[in-house]
Amino acid sequence: MASVSPEKTRWMRGPSTPLRGALLGLLLERPGHGGDLANRLAARLGETWRVDTNDVYRLLEQLEKTGLAVSRDEPKRNNHRRTHLVYYPTDETSEALTLWMETLLPREPVRLGLQAKLSVAREQDAPRLLQALKAYERECLMLAQLVTPIDSRGRSWTALCLDSTRDAVFSQLQIEVQWAQRTRGRINEFLEHRQ
Amino acid sequence: MTPLLSFANVSKRYNDGDRVIRVLDHVSLELEAGVSVGLYGARRSGKSTLLRLAAGITLPDEGSIRFEGRDISDMSGRERGRLLRDEIAFVSTADWRANPGESVLDHVATSLGSKGLTMREARRRALRVLEEVEIGAGSIEEPMSSLASAERARVMLARALAHEPLLLIADEAALTPNSGERDRFYALLRGAAAERRMALLMASEVLEAIGGTQVMMSIAAGEVVSTEARATVVPLTRRVGAERFGQ
Repeated sequence: MASVSPEKTRWMRGPSTPLRGALLGLLLERPGHGGDLANRLAARLGETWRVDTNDVYRLLEQLEKTGLAVSRDEPKRNNHRRTHLVYYPTDETSEALTLWMETLLPREPVRLGLQAKLSVAREQDAPRLLQALKAYERECLMLAQLVTPIDSRGRSWTALCLDSTRDAVFSQLQIEVQWAQRTRGRINEFLEHRQ
Repeated sequence: MTPLLSFANVSKRYNDGDRVIRVLDHVSLELEAGVSVGLYGARRSGKSTLLRLAAGITLPDEGSIRFEGRDISDMSGRERGRLLRDEIAFVSTADWRANPGESVLDHVATSLGSKGLTMREARRRALRVLEEVEIGAGSIEEPMSSLASAERARVMLARALAHEPLLLIADEAALTPNSGERDRFYALLRGAAAERRMALLMASEVLEAIGGTQVMMSIAAGEVVSTEARATVVPLTRRVGAERFGQ
């Protein structure tokens, strides 16, 4: 990835970045109020994410402060006497989403970030997703490399515990690499059929 | 410095009925002498194809593979045979073959026929490597066919080590459901390669099996992802934490 000004990636700091990124994707698909976006986010990411509506309001405010979303007070559809804030993308939203797609964040590897990207990815993001998946695969392999195997014979209790921890890490990383490989394969297959 | 083994834009395809399967797609990598590399991939991901290309058993459709600077594609079949016999050892229990009734010791010793050794010298060297891979004295006169798969894998390793190759290639060599035996085999493999400063290229569909190698690679959809940038394989500095646990 070419070097990008820190200003443009500032919004990607913090643990809620996957949700902020996914919100940008949803805003680009169509504008919405906080509740609507929270529902769409929950539907898109699945039950395991536990999307909290209050969190979504807070994240939308953050995105507005950074200039990646803009809100307007609009009448509610079923009650015109009352209003609510509807969030819209700005001129910078699309570029920010593109940048997020190709950025492996310092907190990764955690699949959640990539999962959020996949949930709102546009077809034109396919090359960036492939890059991100390869980078993720590489990060997982590098983590695996840090966990040097210990000799399994004549073990002490401590060695046994260490070995089991190593086993847990390797099993987890293997699943992650498999998932990244499978997803790359599926995207490549899709692109081939498109040609 | 010329790398021991290099792949430059190597592609390999197979026909599967009407479909063309792209097993490797412009893969480039370099392996320096004395470095261990672990290749991880699911079944049918192209691991064995990459290893067989590295050993000169099959040739690429595109790109070039060089061993000590020599292009493998330019070699005659005889030259490639000599390469595989003298400088590269290929361990694969899938390709295991022994003469009926052949003992473990003879299986290893007779493979040294091309080395210009007397039978006594060959047996002595065979004994040494069999001991190194922990094949007990009680098993060496047993017929090969009587061995369990884990033991057989260690005999295959001994046979490869006896040739003192520059590059040891191991293709899912320890196909055993017992994870303890598998760990033991891979520890022996890494230890023997490190002690001899021999390059090691090993592949497995279990990520844990390739743990402890200096460079890890994964293969899928014809592409290789490496822990080393641009897939150039160079030794990594050992971690202090690993030393603490007797590694």
